[in-house]
Amino acid sequence: MTVVSVRSLSTRRGAAEVLRGIDLEVRRGEVVAVIGPSGSGKTTFLRALNYLTPFTAGEVTIAGHGLRPGMSERRDAAALRAVRTRVGMVFQSFNVFPHLTAVGNVMEAPRRVLGLSATAAETRARTLLARVGLRDHADAYPERLSGGQQQRVAIARALAMEPVVMLLDEPTSALDARLVGEVLAVVGDLAAAGQTMIVVTHELAFARRVADRVVVLAGGEIVESGTAGDVLERPRAAETRALLGMAGDGR
Amino acid sequence: MWRGTIALAALLAACGRLQGDDPVARMQARGTLRWGGDMQGGEPYVMQDPGDTGRLTGFEVEIADALARRLGVAAEFVQNDWQTLIPSLERGDFDVALNGIEVTPARRARVAFTRPYYAFTETLVVRRADGGTHGLSDLRGQRVGTLEGSLALDLLRAAPGVQVVLYEGVEEPYLDLERGRLAAVLLDNIIAARYALPRPALRAAGTVDEGVYAIAVRPDQPGMLAAVDGALAAMMRDGELRRILERWNLWDDRQPRLGGGGPLRPDGGSRPGLTLAYLPLFLRGAAFTVIISVLAMAIAITGGLVLSLARRQGAPLVQAAAGVYVEVFRGTPVLLQLYVLYYGLAPLLTLDAFTAAVVGLGLNYAAYESELYRAGFDAVPVGQTEAALALGMSRWQALRRIVLPQAVRVALPGVANDFIALLKDSSLVSVITVVELTKQMTITAVDVRGWLAPGLLCAALYLALSYPLSRLARRLERRLAPAPA
Repeated sequence: MTVVSVRSLSTRRGAAEVLRGIDLEVRRGEVVAVIGPSGSGKTTFLRALNYLTPFTAGEVTIAGHGLRPGMSERRDAAALRAVRTRVGMVFQSFNVFPHLTAVGNVMEAPRRVLGLSATAAETRARTLLARVGLRDHADAYPERLSGGQQQRVAIARALAMEPVVMLLDEPTSALDARLVGEVLAVVGDLAAAGQTMIVVTHELAFARRVADRVVVLAGGEIVESGTAGDVLERPRAAETRALLGMAGDGR
Repeated sequence: MWRGTIALAALLAACGRLQGDDPVARMQARGTLRWGGDMQGGEPYVMQDPGDTGRLTGFEVEIADALARRLGVAAEFVQNDWQTLIPSLERGDFDVALNGIEVTPARRARVAFTRPYYAFTETLVVRRADGGTHGLSDLRGQRVGTLEGSLALDLLRAAPGVQVVLYEGVEEPYLDLERGRLAAVLLDNIIAARYALPRPALRAAGTVDEGVYAIAVRPDQPGMLAAVDGALAAMMRDGELRRILERWNLWDDRQPRLGGGGPLRPDGGSRPGLTLAYLPLFLRGAAFTVIISVLAMAIAITGGLVLSLARRQGAPLVQAAAGVYVEVFRGTPVLLQLYVLYYGLAPLLTLDAFTAAVVGLGLNYAAYESELYRAGFDAVPVGQTEAALALGMSRWQALRRIVLPQAVRVALPGVANDFIALLKDSSLVSVITVVELTKQMTITAVDVRGWLAPGLLCAALYLALSYPLSRLARRLERRLAPAPA
């Protein structure tokens, strides 16, 4: 069953085209890794999927709810919320709420958006924090948490809405190398549990291990797409080969 | 401590005496008789000539000119708040004080007076519709207006049960009487005739007492007293004073009785000091200051929030209107805003003084608070809003639950600092007749004839209020200093 359907998605920033006609279908339980050089439009693509970045052409359907070009935060608030409550977003820079504890971060949306009682929201939040390995840090404020811990709070926060799909935008690229592993482990566990995910990442080893499919984005287009094994072991597109070569040099 | 202050004052006075020789000789060497008065007293005393700004006119200006001429010098006007004419005379800011100064026992204890130059009565004015009021005894429990430091004030204080409301100008009490904010006004007949009786809605309800104006001279300058009094006596003898008064329509059958007697030396009457009996009055003033400040701040905090949200999220027209509001209220003096709110809007909206004070200060500070919130909102990264929206929160929820709490943290130390500023700015509301801490101080200073002790007490109370707040502000600044992650 298709959870995410993207057709001819295009965006511009001013006169410049950032995405030029992206097509993608994601089935339930599938993990898609999006890789590509900097500036290829990966982050824009992910943000367009819940309309944090508006798009200029094409269409996106998530769990039956559509997004079209030219929607407005004010006018189309209901339609946007219908999509966003079903999409979990994890940002490169965590964006945890500094004025709330870890459990407060996770409880907030279930309470305010789904209308859960405080008790129900807290039970859900503590369960999720335990799942991401933060049982003992549930009552800490973000300033007391490491970057890796903050990002795990952010993952729990997104999961609390029970999203049909999780969008992770380079979830480890703002982290010290020694903290990357704990976050990737959590994401790996989610994948194993059958969570549908689209992950923008530079971690090729992680993509190879976890992703069902790897999509290579370059110049705002999908230049190659296939199983992790095919794309990463036997790349066909020149951009993919360049990317893998660069990644190899970088390590 | 007081003993030390007195010793210091005596020392300074002695120095002054050593340095000064004969004040009359000094005046003649300078070539001017420096006389103190307040142009705000207005017509017919002393006022700016509407046809020729920079020139003064008024019957007291003519008296001063005539006196100076007779002393062989020119008259030089020194502008001074009416209430503080006596302390300024004592400081030596001018040679004589000549501005409707009523000879009262309290003043006689302090300075010397020439013979009187005008006999006045205290006229009680009420609304024409009010047929039942004939004297002070009919005004028990009612609000009656007068000028601070006047003989009328002494009379009102002595009248049982009358609530006294103090003004600094002569027009405002009659405006408030017309608007129903007062039940009556008691002031000198000259003032009543010029400012009250032309108003068709008001009528004179009777004469309460009478008194005289005289020229005040420093008590340690008998030579100056004799010279000025002699010149005045000559003006009375040859009819010049009468001609001046007639020119200003001030001559009446009370005036010919003046002229007898001579100068009045200080009578050495008791000089009441600042005693503990004043403390409850000061505490009451301080309580008013706190109440006004807290209520005004509540308006400022909510109003500022509404303004900053309007500027941030409102429709273009709303944004523009909020912007204009902030610029106007920040760009004009709060004193002016209080005047406009209380007196200017009175025909449309008659607020009582307390409400006008709270609303006026609140509206003014709202403009400042909105700027603090704006800085607070700007300090919250856009990723916070995006994270909230991505969770399905509405724009309002994202603002209310996520952005606002963080913005407030950034704004909080500034808000605390503004509250301290407001505590002190609240002294401005005395212009619209509210008696708070500073006003209590000036009233007491007139009563005890000294500014130092009441001033220090007043300052101590302000400090006691503001110091804990500034400690709090500093603690907030420290605690909230690390920028949100």
